[in-house]
Amino acid sequence: MQTNPTVTEKGTVRQRKKKKNQFPVAIVILAIVIWFAIILGQKSPRLALSWVFGIAFGVVLQKSRFCFTASFRDPVLTGSTSLTKAVIIALAVASVGFAAIQYGAVSKGLPVPGFVSPVGWHVAIGAVIFGIGMVISGGCASGTLMRVGEGFMMQWLSLLFFVVGALWGAHDYGWWKKVFIDGTSGIHLPSVLGWPVAFVLQLLVLGLLYIVADQWGNRQKD
Amino acid sequence: MKLEENKYFKAVVKDAWPYTLGAVLLALLNITLFISNGSPWGVTTPFLYWATWIYKAFGGQVENWVYFNNPAHLKAINLSFLTHGGSLMNIGIIFGAFIASLAASQFKIRKIKSIRQVIVAISGGLLMGYGTRIAFGCNIGAFFSGVASFSLHGWVYTIFIFVGAWIGSKLLVKFFM
Amino acid sequence: MAEFRLDCLGEACPVPLLKTQKKLANLKIGDLLIVEIDHSCAMKNVPEWARKEGHHVEIEETGDGEWEIYIEKTK
Repeated sequence: MQTNPTVTEKGTVRQRKKKKNQFPVAIVILAIVIWFAIILGQKSPRLALSWVFGIAFGVVLQKSRFCFTASFRDPVLTGSTSLTKAVIIALAVASVGFAAIQYGAVSKGLPVPGFVSPVGWHVAIGAVIFGIGMVISGGCASGTLMRVGEGFMMQWLSLLFFVVGALWGAHDYGWWKKVFIDGTSGIHLPSVLGWPVAFVLQLLVLGLLYIVADQWGNRQKD
Repeated sequence: MKLEENKYFKAVVKDAWPYTLGAVLLALLNITLFISNGSPWGVTTPFLYWATWIYKAFGGQVENWVYFNNPAHLKAINLSFLTHGGSLMNIGIIFGAFIASLAASQFKIRKIKSIRQVIVAISGGLLMGYGTRIAFGCNIGAFFSGVASFSLHGWVYTIFIFVGAWIGSKLLVKFFM
Repeated sequence: MAEFRLDCLGEACPVPLLKTQKKLANLKIGDLLIVEIDHSCAMKNVPEWARKEGHHVEIEETGDGEWEIYIEKTK
């Protein structure tokens, strides 16, 4: 990213806001975070690990400005697919790792680990609702947390109502279960199609999607 | 300042990282989390627990809700913000982003600018929260971790989150710009 | 060679990019558009779009979490 100082063509001089060096504050907060990790670790290494992973996710999300919302929204709204492509890469890399973990577990006779949830219209409807919400509020689940940490008051408000909405959803869940979820089940593709087919198919589909996204992003240029 | 002029400092701390690097790191973190924790990355079930803990603190009862007819949930609602792994992870994400932006001297309290922003923040938040409970997750738990788990629901989620994003974009441009 | 300012401070994604796209379409070749933003995503996606369109882009950090994006319309 370029940050070369420039002067406008007309040489206009503007009142520059004084930039404060926040790096020392970052060190202080980091020290608190590490201290907290140690305290947690004494009580439960697992909790300390969760804390550290959270910090790591937060740093990576913020540093790379990784916005899932934009990956779904920008192809049609602004014509950009750079985040879409990045998300596809993330899915591909994660798929390989997750496949190894799942295969390892299944080989030992254990149940399939990971997030395999019932498939049905509830997923479709819920995803549409979520998609609308993330685009109008300017942040998805991870994006909202990231922006809370960056100081966006709009996301503080969004997070508050995200939490309320979750409770509301849990409250109504009984109805959704009766109407849509009962009778459905999780479908783990490798368990149904066999590992070789499912694995290759998923990576193939992701590869194709990447190519499509790349073409789409470039066609807007002319 | 000498530190700020160091090219490694600039590249790692000051400048934004490329999207591709972020993608690979997030995937590696998710894989590592899955191995060490037994289950992959999810963000929004802890949000539900946050709401439940607060609701219970005000005397609310959820144990008889159909949603909570589940041993994992029943166990979790007796924990709290700093004793539940997922909750700590979410708070960690906030702190991670906080530290990263401070280190680059890019932290700024961005105040809410208009009533329009209030409306979309509230309605958007409610929609997202509600949607995650019926779809079994968000862009992380259902989409990222779901697809990586080779679960069909993840792919269904993928198709329909695009639909939702399209609708949201139309609404945004028509009413909120 | 006119110079135009676009104040997008306080705007949430994707508003800065949408406003930039709209404004730039109305400018003449050679004009300079200065977009003021304080959104960390916009400091990436606005220059990326403008460069992809073939314009000359520079960005300057003007405050903590604030940037100015200089876009010179070249086509």
